[in-house]
Amino acid sequence: MRTRIIGCGTEDRGDDAAGLRVAQRLRALGIDALDHPGDGLSLMETWQGADDVILIDAVITGGPPGEINSWNGHHADVVADQHRASSHAFGVAEAIKLARILHRLPPRLTLYGIEAAHFALGSAPSPEVDAAAERLARQLAAAEGA
Amino acid sequence: MNGKTRTIRVDTLARVEGEGAILIKLQGDRVTDVKLRIYEPPRFFEAFLRGRHYTEIADITARICGICPIAYQMSSIHAIERALGVQIDPAVRMLRRLFYCGEWIESHALHVYMLHAPDFLGYPDALEMAKDHRQIVEQALRLKKIGNRIVRVIGGREIHPISATVGGFSKVSTKRQLRELEDDLQWALDASIATVKLVAGFEFPDFEQDYEFVALSHPDEYPFNEGRLISNHGMNIDAVEYEDHFFEQHVKHSNSLHSVHRGHGSYLVGPLARFNLNFDKLPAPARQIAQEVGLVPPVKNPFRSIIVRAVELVFACAEALRIVREYAPPAHPQVPVEPRDGVGQAITEAPRGILYHRYAVDRNGLIVSAKIVPPTSQNQKRIEDDLREFAAQVSAWPLEEATWKCEQAVRNYDPCISCATHFLRVTIERT
Repeated sequence: MRTRIIGCGTEDRGDDAAGLRVAQRLRALGIDALDHPGDGLSLMETWQGADDVILIDAVITGGPPGEINSWNGHHADVVADQHRASSHAFGVAEAIKLARILHRLPPRLTLYGIEAAHFALGSAPSPEVDAAAERLARQLAAAEGA
Repeated sequence: MNGKTRTIRVDTLARVEGEGAILIKLQGDRVTDVKLRIYEPPRFFEAFLRGRHYTEIADITARICGICPIAYQMSSIHAIERALGVQIDPAVRMLRRLFYCGEWIESHALHVYMLHAPDFLGYPDALEMAKDHRQIVEQALRLKKIGNRIVRVIGGREIHPISATVGGFSKVSTKRQLRELEDDLQWALDASIATVKLVAGFEFPDFEQDYEFVALSHPDEYPFNEGRLISNHGMNIDAVEYEDHFFEQHVKHSNSLHSVHRGHGSYLVGPLARFNLNFDKLPAPARQIAQEVGLVPPVKNPFRSIIVRAVELVFACAEALRIVREYAPPAHPQVPVEPRDGVGQAITEAPRGILYHRYAVDRNGLIVSAKIVPPTSQNQKRIEDDLREFAAQVSAWPLEEATWKCEQAVRNYDPCISCATHFLRVTIERT
């Protein structure tokens, strides 16, 4: 099974960089992981051909900052973020919904969300989100056998 | 309804790039106030370009927009080349045109299908549309992917491409690399022609305006990155004269400046302007399909811009095909550049309309001053003028429907708010 790990987010917009941080840590641990800016249409291209996709992004569920949750991408009720930190007309949530309609979801899609709270322009992720990114990277690396 | 005050309000405009809002106040059928509010924060690019070396400009300006980085790179590179007196290799010019084709295909496919078509087919968004019109969305994705591929082949990567430089390209494509695009482009050309037929069958509101259309014009080509700036009101100027004719004003309700044609007022840039002023320069397949669906200049109904964008898709695919067939790598991929004191201005045609850049450079090649006027800033006043006229026309409609139509009137312009700030919400108030 080919697993593809994709970390989504934007640098310099606070906790929105959560997914990117996880991908960076994974690469430092010797695991392949891709950065993705979160543009939904190209996201579908990015997971094309992979059997097992792990997608990591900042989320707002109302939990404490840095909380990690995971969902099955085939069933999760994803909604576009109200707080549009991204300026893309199509984000990650739209990509997942559109891929379901077009039957373009990878056979396995696992979503990891790191609870985010701060999105100020020019800021780095909060210590809680950084720590969560580190935890999640180690957990995924362990699962990948690194 | 007479004398009743109503407000049409959209707090977060959907299906636009960036963040903005609309507020329209109506008293009976009289529009008392219109505000297109762009509240995405300003980004100060012009300020932080100062003191940078001219060789960094293309990389920095590419970051202004994720949708049209090529336009920003091209306007900035051309302006610097004019400041430094650089003459590029003709094959580099050809490659730059192909680069631009890639961006237009990406951007227009996204807007025509995913952002604008749902308005005409009666869906709140492309996702709902995809449930009933899967093939349309598949077609859009494939077209967009081809545009992305061109940008990747020429620019090194899809997002914030890296190979375009002052003087040429740091790395140029081989003949074979471009030839490999041919099959995709032939499909894209056919798909674009089918797109024109599809969107020409949509229903359009009866709404025409007496616009001043402003676009580049070149003696032999449908314009991308070269030509004089002309209008249907008799203007014909070089980029050097742009600031004598156009000025920007700050308006309290927006983070984007409003650009105004001195002595004329608002004006329109983008597909309608290009098409109306350059119809005879379209390659045969684009001109023929336009005529076949009854689209002939002057097109004054902004809602029909979706057909014009589709015709421009045909143009971009046909032009790209021509280039990949005729291309031979440049003898001088990157001509040497000597820094000197100078000022350079350039205008290129971004997918949404003209993009003006001016730079002053010192003898060490450092940027002394920079000015950037994005297409959405130029259209912003015109969008408000359209809304003022259009809101009066739909003033008696149920509020929800009137609000939706007014949002559409904004989407006619495919506003790229992220670029213009230097974000979209619609409010109609009726008192």
